[in-house]
Amino acid sequence: MALLEVKNLTVEFGSEDKPFRAVDSVSYSVDRGEVLGIVGESGSGKSVSSLAVMGLIDFPGRVTADALTFDGQDLLGMPAKRRREITGKDIAMIFQDPMSALNPCFTVEAQIMEALKVHEGGTKKQRRERTLELLNQVGIPDPKSRMTAYPHQLSGGMSQRIVIAMAIACKPRLLIADEPTTALDVTIQAQIIDLLLKLQEDSDMGLILITHDLALVSEAANRIQVMYAGQLFESGPADSIFAAPRHPYTQALLEALPERSEGHDRLRTIPGVVPGQYDRPTGCLLAPRCRYANESCITARPEVRDFNGRDVRCFYPLNDQGQPTGLTADMATGENV
Amino acid sequence: MSFLETKPGVPLLESDNLVRHYDVNRGFGKPNATVKALDGVSFTLEAQKTLAVVGESGCGKSTLGRQLTLIEQPSAGELKINGNTVGNLSDKEAKLFRRTVQMIFQNPYGSLNPRKKVGQILAEPVLLNMDQLGRKEREERVRETMAKVGLRPEFYQRYPHMFSGGQRQRIAIARALILEPKVIVADEPVSALDVSVQAQVLNLMMDLQEEMNVAYVFISHDLSVVRHIADDVMVMYLGRVAEKGPTEEIFAKPLHPYTRALLASAPKIDPAHRVKAEPLTGELPSPINPPSGCAFHKRCPFATEECAKVRPELRTFEGREVACHRVEEIA
Repeated sequence: MALLEVKNLTVEFGSEDKPFRAVDSVSYSVDRGEVLGIVGESGSGKSVSSLAVMGLIDFPGRVTADALTFDGQDLLGMPAKRRREITGKDIAMIFQDPMSALNPCFTVEAQIMEALKVHEGGTKKQRRERTLELLNQVGIPDPKSRMTAYPHQLSGGMSQRIVIAMAIACKPRLLIADEPTTALDVTIQAQIIDLLLKLQEDSDMGLILITHDLALVSEAANRIQVMYAGQLFESGPADSIFAAPRHPYTQALLEALPERSEGHDRLRTIPGVVPGQYDRPTGCLLAPRCRYANESCITARPEVRDFNGRDVRCFYPLNDQGQPTGLTADMATGENV
Repeated sequence: MSFLETKPGVPLLESDNLVRHYDVNRGFGKPNATVKALDGVSFTLEAQKTLAVVGESGCGKSTLGRQLTLIEQPSAGELKINGNTVGNLSDKEAKLFRRTVQMIFQNPYGSLNPRKKVGQILAEPVLLNMDQLGRKEREERVRETMAKVGLRPEFYQRYPHMFSGGQRQRIAIARALILEPKVIVADEPVSALDVSVQAQVLNLMMDLQEEMNVAYVFISHDLSVVRHIADDVMVMYLGRVAEKGPTEEIFAKPLHPYTRALLASAPKIDPAHRVKAEPLTGELPSPINPPSGCAFHKRCPFATEECAKVRPELRTFEGREVACHRVEEIA
């Protein structure tokens, strides 16, 4: 059984009769020892979906799901008190900006010890020892003297290490990292990602890595989910999803990367922008920007379906040559043209 | 004005040992410290070319941009345009210089006045610098420039909050272009944008370069973007140049250990492009108290005793300029 099972998770904001769906029936699962990468542009719902898993969506946001289970326990159905015992202990989260994730008024030591006090208890001495151990584990040089440092005395990379120490303080079984390196430089990014992967491997954690950086997930994750405007567009194993994208959006995203257009004068762009709250199309959400879109894409919304072992939300998924399939009569079979 | 005339054989913009130091107050009773944000940077920029300045945060790349646009006066060193020293220009000429060297800022959410309409934002530089133009002509010029950067005419009456990040960056580009500058200093122009929008803005910048013959100083930390857009690359570390040369050569064979580490740390999609290397340990040292000798020696896998004592100067090696004692052995 998977560690985290999410089925048709939907997060809505706004009025009941005309809701805005920030996340639209997204399903995924994460196993022990697995790294799941979630990629998407801003507004794709990748952060909101993970906040919903953590139970951090407040009123007036509404979270619904067919199933949201952690280790077999239903997270949505359980009492709030029980859920708080799980979040922060068994499921932990690392936020994007380490500078604002830490409280500027308290020392590093006090902030890490707080998490330990709530979930593990023990004496103050034990907690302090554990904190020192954690700082060592996340590779802080001279941890003894850093214990009493305030966040403003630390660099961005160092702050992110503290945030990671806080997240792994209670030995979580699932770690959600929401853009953990976006605020950091490339050389520090490499250090932090190495650290996260090492911790994940050592303790057999499940790790959800949320980012907008396609290259980063392709190096770090086992499985990858591509999201767009709140919907899951494609998911599959990391080694094949970028080698042979099945969804036109994945293909277009890859082509927009400078890395993929070496020797070309201009980059291939995706025209337009991600639809916002008020301008979502009625058919496929990508239809106005998709180079293969036709009549049926504009009128009907495709469902997620299995195509060559990949989950794809598209009427005409791409074949190995990057050409849409099923545009002719054999659409129903899903065979390559 | 004479200094705007291009002379054959003289580079458009030249920086000669540009230095910018800041005094930092360290508290009562303590002497002020000096941050050497920019410590002797030289480069030349030819017309219609793109020079990329790369490095981690704190390496002085944005400070360089501020000196080039005269937002600040350099502490020492000379900036030359068409061979004329900028420091010697009269106030009137300096105004003209500012018009010739324009800037695009990093964050399009912070660089546009939220109380002004797009039309007003774009008209302001024209109003200040081309007072011979009447209202009609000014408006015409604004509309022309809007069309050039792909903004629809009806946007003229809209406020910045009504636009997405990519559209805002187009407004910022239009504002920089409207005075027909020769040089545009772009400080991380696409780092706040999504991948798909980033590609649109980069293409636009390249199109405009061909159309309007501008040269770019492209400040960025994203190496794949730099590789795509730049003719020359200058890698900076702690206020000094580590390596400088043509883009293709630097990416094909980085010479300075820092350039190598930067290239190796950047994640790649294609497994074939990935460089297997030990990640760089440690962080950028404090510019208040930089290490002795080579500023990079504490993080450098090739460092020797000499590196800790003697600061390497930029020297030419294989047609490139590198500041490293051991470049011959490493290469």
